[in-house]
Amino acid sequence: MIEGRLYDGLTAHPHDVRVAVADGRLELSQDSGWSDSVDGAALKRLDADPSALRLGRRDQPGWRLILPPDAEDELTPLLGKQERYGRWIDRVGLVPALITGGAITAAVLAVGYIAPHWIAPHVPMSWERNVGAALVGDFGTNRCRNAKGQRALETLVERVAPGSTKGPNGIKVAALNIPIFNAAALPGGYIVVFKPAITETDPDALAGVLAHEVAHVRRRHVAEALIRELGIGALIRMFAGNVGANAEQIVSLSYTRSNEAQADSDAIRMLKRANISPKPTAELFQTLSKASPGFSAAFLRSHPLSSKRAEQFEQSFDSKAHYQRALSQDQTDALYDICWKRPAEVKDS
Amino acid sequence: MDALASPSAGDDARAIRFTGNWREYLPIAITNALLILCTLGIYRFWAAARQRRYLWSRTLIIDDTLEWTGTGKEMFIGFLIVIMILAPFFLFFQFLFPALMARGKTDAAIGVLMLFYIGFIYLGGFARFRALRYRLSRSWWHGIRGGSDDPGWNYGGEYLGRFFLSAMTMFIIYPWVATGLWNSRWNAMSFGELPFRANLDTEGLKWRWALVYLVPIAVLFVAMFGAILIGASLFTPGDGGAMPPSLGILLIGIIVLFYIAVPLMTLNWYAKFYRKAADATTLGELSFGFEASTLQWLGLFLGNLALAVVTLGFGLTYWGYRNWSFMVRHARIYGSIDVSHLTQSTTHAPGEAEGFADAFDIGAIGA
Repeated sequence: MIEGRLYDGLTAHPHDVRVAVADGRLELSQDSGWSDSVDGAALKRLDADPSALRLGRRDQPGWRLILPPDAEDELTPLLGKQERYGRWIDRVGLVPALITGGAITAAVLAVGYIAPHWIAPHVPMSWERNVGAALVGDFGTNRCRNAKGQRALETLVERVAPGSTKGPNGIKVAALNIPIFNAAALPGGYIVVFKPAITETDPDALAGVLAHEVAHVRRRHVAEALIRELGIGALIRMFAGNVGANAEQIVSLSYTRSNEAQADSDAIRMLKRANISPKPTAELFQTLSKASPGFSAAFLRSHPLSSKRAEQFEQSFDSKAHYQRALSQDQTDALYDICWKRPAEVKDS
Repeated sequence: MDALASPSAGDDARAIRFTGNWREYLPIAITNALLILCTLGIYRFWAAARQRRYLWSRTLIIDDTLEWTGTGKEMFIGFLIVIMILAPFFLFFQFLFPALMARGKTDAAIGVLMLFYIGFIYLGGFARFRALRYRLSRSWWHGIRGGSDDPGWNYGGEYLGRFFLSAMTMFIIYPWVATGLWNSRWNAMSFGELPFRANLDTEGLKWRWALVYLVPIAVLFVAMFGAILIGASLFTPGDGGAMPPSLGILLIGIIVLFYIAVPLMTLNWYAKFYRKAADATTLGELSFGFEASTLQWLGLFLGNLALAVVTLGFGLTYWGYRNWSFMVRHARIYGSIDVSHLTQSTTHAPGEAEGFADAFDIGAIGA
């Protein structure tokens, strides 16, 4: 006989009961003559502090039987195992669950990291173009529309990557009148350069920056980053409890380190083929990595700079080569004026 | 015998006590952390259920412990439902906003963002209500549970309205907003057949709220006055008016002081708010109290931070434990309860779990 306390789930009033186990059933009785019998299968063990054994019933919410802890031995055959980690973990056991789970997690992360690299080259450029067009359109009033300047900018892209702006999948380069020092490759073969990156940079250095972005487009790094961001990134963010991902995430796609390295070595090769000195680019990277954070924060965030990257450009400099300027003086002047509006236009807007 | 009186003084005789300890919780903390890591985070719902089952079972109220019956599965399903409802909206806005910005349609983009925030604030209020309702419906004592029959849609609207009124006055009327929301939330809740009654007013809270504005400004003025004095003594004519380096450091110091003063004063307000709110809330013949001072709250938060830093992140798994035991240790229950008249709750037991609250990162404190 075990003395216990019973709550019937109807009121909070406790009833003193005596408990006995017989034939897989729990027999309850009281001095008043009241008695009850509960099938062992209906019973479940509930979490309790060490001073008590607490039982509930699957068929009656609120029914609780509280017994002294030493009653456990007598009741164990009736109760079976207690749920510990959740039914799906208990079924396989903690250690096997950790090993399988760990392996699956590692595999999912690995596939999530590598798969975009395999998939990206097979994504039709027209799809990527649709995403890009929906995202950026014609850039509206942000865009610098000086025709001569635009021609000079396109010439610069053609200088480092001949033929790249031609054809349906050609690169579309645009200057944006936004006072941040940055340049980026966007989905659909768009390359945007923000105003300070044009007007405060030597055209030869801008050529290096553009070559880097062209490499991202050609190597399909943009599609790769898009897939990575929407696929595994979204999954992780979801379960990490952060559903409210911010709106900028799509435009500030981040490339992997190896993507960046590849774009750099492509850019160095492009500069070499175009016979443009890599030195101004190296100097630009050097200056940016040291510059005050306010000036170049955006550029640094999207293109993590290290002096090592600047060095690579520096090392590709050939002192015997006869480098040519990327643009003529006229073209350079036009480029610097790309965001300049004629007085009539200013009045209109 | 049917009326249980809650003893009012003496620590061992307190009507609400926390009986757990961190060593006993350690196996739960370790296995939860491991399982969360090895399941891409999916286990966190089951981890939360385990944590609560432990914490509730170590919370003694008068003569019996609390009991948590919520399950990881139901929280996981709740989360999936919320994701299915919200994900399309998030995706849509994630594309729409940059698309409008890229086209230079800044006004439209800001309009869209405003709409987004309005929806977000409404859902935030709704989620807070639902979280409380869900927690009460899964919390049992003496075989009786709590709950609410109010679905919380109106509360979401009230929350949104009060938030905007408050924002329009630069949050000066926030004490009225917060107390009103506390009352609306708790007056809709019940335990068993007994309704909670909250009658919180702003008495004593207004002045503390004013300090949130006044202290940082005072700090700023005093520091600036000091800076001018020091600056004047350091300034020597003829050096071109360049700022001496010590003045620059002083300026940074002022800014740091300002950013410390604002959250400290806000904490100072919340400490009082929760003390008053508990006092103003009753359940039948039971009344409540909460006795944590501003310094004790600060100790909790700094302790949490330090623990996480010192243990290289593992301490994060103890935040839930520390927060709950803090709440219980400082909570008081007074009066008596007639257990034979405390009958079972007839409220609808919601099944959708806290998904909404978890999606908005609303934690245990204050719910």
